[in-house]
Amino acid sequence: MLPLTVFFALSTWSQEPIAFFNRFLDMNKPVNTPSMQSWFHPRCLLLWLVCATIIVSFSALAQAERRDSESGFESWLTFQTIPSMMVISHPGDIPFAFEWEATPLLYSFGMTRLVSPWYSFKVSQAARFTGSIELKATGQISTRKMGSSYFGSSAQLIGHIPLMERGEYLGLNVGVAKYAFAGSSPWFKVVGISTLFGLLEFNFKHSSDPEIWMGTIEFRFF
Amino acid sequence: MTTIRSQARHVLFCSSVLAFFGFLSGCSPLVSRFTARAVDQLGEPIRPVIHKVAVPLRSDVGFSILWVGHATVLIQIRDKVLITDPAFTKTVGLLAKRSVEPGIDPAAITRLNAILISHLHFDHFSYGSLDMLPKEATLIVPPGAGEYTPEFGFAITREAKTWEAIEEDSLRITPVPVQHFGGRYGFDVPWGPVRPYTGYVIEYKGITLFFAGDTGYNPDYFKEIGRRFHIDVALLPIAPVEPREFMKRVHTDPAEALQAFEDLGAKIMIPIHHDTFFQGLEPEVGYAKKLMQALIEERGLQDRVKLLTIGEQLVLK
Repeated sequence: MLPLTVFFALSTWSQEPIAFFNRFLDMNKPVNTPSMQSWFHPRCLLLWLVCATIIVSFSALAQAERRDSESGFESWLTFQTIPSMMVISHPGDIPFAFEWEATPLLYSFGMTRLVSPWYSFKVSQAARFTGSIELKATGQISTRKMGSSYFGSSAQLIGHIPLMERGEYLGLNVGVAKYAFAGSSPWFKVVGISTLFGLLEFNFKHSSDPEIWMGTIEFRFF
Repeated sequence: MTTIRSQARHVLFCSSVLAFFGFLSGCSPLVSRFTARAVDQLGEPIRPVIHKVAVPLRSDVGFSILWVGHATVLIQIRDKVLITDPAFTKTVGLLAKRSVEPGIDPAAITRLNAILISHLHFDHFSYGSLDMLPKEATLIVPPGAGEYTPEFGFAITREAKTWEAIEEDSLRITPVPVQHFGGRYGFDVPWGPVRPYTGYVIEYKGITLFFAGDTGYNPDYFKEIGRRFHIDVALLPIAPVEPREFMKRVHTDPAEALQAFEDLGAKIMIPIHHDTFFQGLEPEVGYAKKLMQALIEERGLQDRVKLLTIGEQLVLK
């Protein structure tokens, strides 16, 4: 599965295979192979970094299965580097992007009073999905330039509402997000669900401009 | 052409997602086999319990044990009622499905003094099941489990500390060491609490009972517990058995459970943690039970090892 994962991720990230595919469909145009230069494009280098991170992370997971860690900080930090995925609808384009998230502050109202309701960065799944309000910051790297840059960022305020099994099976996410990309900084309304023990979130973000929306698949390992 | 390009990109995007999850399950053949078994069994019917005890709590009973299924045991010692690792839901952890329904209706538990949680795994710490129980109880969770414990509204919630007894109205509950593994979701083991698993010794009015939760065989622990307490009844897990090389460190099989029973010096053993959920890679449903039955007969332990059926209540006093 690993080579397949790398291939598909590479295909998604690098425009060359997509261009190759498109040219294959369009028989009137010659089929060219991607130049070596494209493999050293910053996007490709970043992709390799992402793949390496995923591999290292799962190695860490395999190790973790064999022991009970005393601190686990390194493993936790490694897991944070696993990106979420998003598609962004922007006038004239639908780029794909990787997104990294951090939670500077979360207030949980669903947890036992044995523990503090306040969390910062290191947030247990249960604290989030049992009911919480989360302030999070994200950074994105897009497959193509939006405006003059590949990069974007956001600040989001999201409420997590448990629906099934205290939110462990299913939860509702609602909130607002302020994104900065392509030289603009639109507000988005956020609605989505979280499932699989809070590990997986599907969120839809819609701005006041009907042409600008986002769909995200977020992996929450913390 | 733009449409084809756009669709091709979406196909590739979706493929990436699928490949990622394929990678998750493909990274370990064992995970893959467990997942395949779990998915296969989602369509299996849940067997009914024919003779359910309608009124499990009785004023004329001094000491009774009702096996609800898996590690869920309803214990009555005179006026005190306790339940261990309650699991009443159809599935635990989304995919692990019951093979047989719970031995009692949770509504039949009209009063409850304590709920003991042995560790964080779904089949032992079921959020949905805890929501079904009377709220006047004290909930005792394993060491460090606070960060996994929602507010259920129980009268008291306490975190266990190994060897530190919790005593209330002469009911004494002592968390004792067992050998298992931490985390709840697998990937959280590295940064989750250290050793969030425990067994419990329950003492009340001259009766002593040991609940092991989920444990591998560790003679040092069992002998030490046996040295400190004179155990009347030991509730010991006997499954999952297979694959043994993977399970051995964290799950006792029937032979190891019998050895633990000897190490503890207990008078009676009740096997638990079998025949309820589709778990492990056992060749057939009831595999551990059959092994246990054979060992009981081979060693002539019929009087000391009580192999209950789900929903069966053993009245000892």
